[in-house]
Amino acid sequence: MGGQRPVVSPGRRMDLDEDSVGRDLVALVLTVVELLRQLMERQALRRVDSGELTEAQVERVGTTLMLLEQRMTELRTTFGLRPEDLNLDLGPLGSLLPRD
Amino acid sequence: MTETAGLTRPAAGAQTPPDGTAVCIFAVCHAQTAPDLDGLTGHPGGGPVRTLAAGPLTLIAQSVSAADFAPEACAERFSDPAALESCARAHHAVIAAVARGGPVVPLPLATLYLGPERATAAVAGRADRLLALLERLCHRAEWGLKVYPVRSTPPAADPPGPDSAPAADTGRAYLDRLRNRQQERERQHETAWRTAEHVYAALARQAAAARRLRPQDPALTGGSRRQVLNAALLLDHDREREFRDTVAALARDPAVAAHARIEVTGPWVPYSFARLDDEEQERPADAP
Repeated sequence: MGGQRPVVSPGRRMDLDEDSVGRDLVALVLTVVELLRQLMERQALRRVDSGELTEAQVERVGTTLMLLEQRMTELRTTFGLRPEDLNLDLGPLGSLLPRD
Repeated sequence: MTETAGLTRPAAGAQTPPDGTAVCIFAVCHAQTAPDLDGLTGHPGGGPVRTLAAGPLTLIAQSVSAADFAPEACAERFSDPAALESCARAHHAVIAAVARGGPVVPLPLATLYLGPERATAAVAGRADRLLALLERLCHRAEWGLKVYPVRSTPPAADPPGPDSAPAADTGRAYLDRLRNRQQERERQHETAWRTAEHVYAALARQAAAARRLRPQDPALTGGSRRQVLNAALLLDHDREREFRDTVAALARDPAVAAHARIEVTGPWVPYSFARLDDEEQERPADAP
């Protein structure tokens, strides 16, 4: 198959100029971080709902996650990325992160 | 570009015909259907769009350059959305013209044979099944049914969302908001899905056949939301009004409208029902 062209889903062909490569890479890295963050949130909710944490632990977990989310929002703002930019279309599997 | 049991690219690429041309087959119809092929150009750079006789059937064919349709050339071209679109439109224009004359079995895009004899022999060998299929498609058309989720109004308990959480917030409150948001999202998915099933069941009852297709890529449909249902229905021509009435009634039903938007397209050439390889996957109209 054509060697130089990466195979990308229609309409989102990767554009290999210098500026967009940097931005795409940031978006990709932040997407992975965002995935981990959302997984941590889900796991935390499960732990809290199971009742195995003390009130103080719940408060600490909640505060940590809240700060993590704020930090994520700041990072997105810094790089000019919208929440929906941090996602990957997995074709028939749907999207990596849930869409609202 | 789906496989039509043994009719798809039987030998293209395996060997190059001596004169560098191959025969592209667009569709098969009854021999007594006289398709009007005037003004059709088919694929650019190819010969005139013409008919080939194969016993009780007629093939709609065009001579094309074998190199243009070699597997590598096709892979390269079809990975470009614009080139794929123009190729698909050329293919569809021919099929739509034939369909105006009578029932037609459209073949997958870029169905190639090394020569007219091989094409007619392949079709003649499946004449029985093709004739049965044409019989089934007679006086029927395909309709597209798509259902999109509708975002219901956000619950009052969660006005700004965690994104804009005030600084003085507590960890416990953040977790509660998170939980509410997740539950709300799951609930909306669930309701949209149930609504789509209800719509599909109601409309599939009126169809001669119905099948679910893969949801389309939001990038292609231009919408930002993913379809919860993408289905094709094979409908008798004389049930079209009844079908439209049911669609309108469903769309008016508050229980449906609150959660889903229905989109109906058609009538189409029955691409989704003209496949030789998978009749058994279709749901008979009256199955539960």
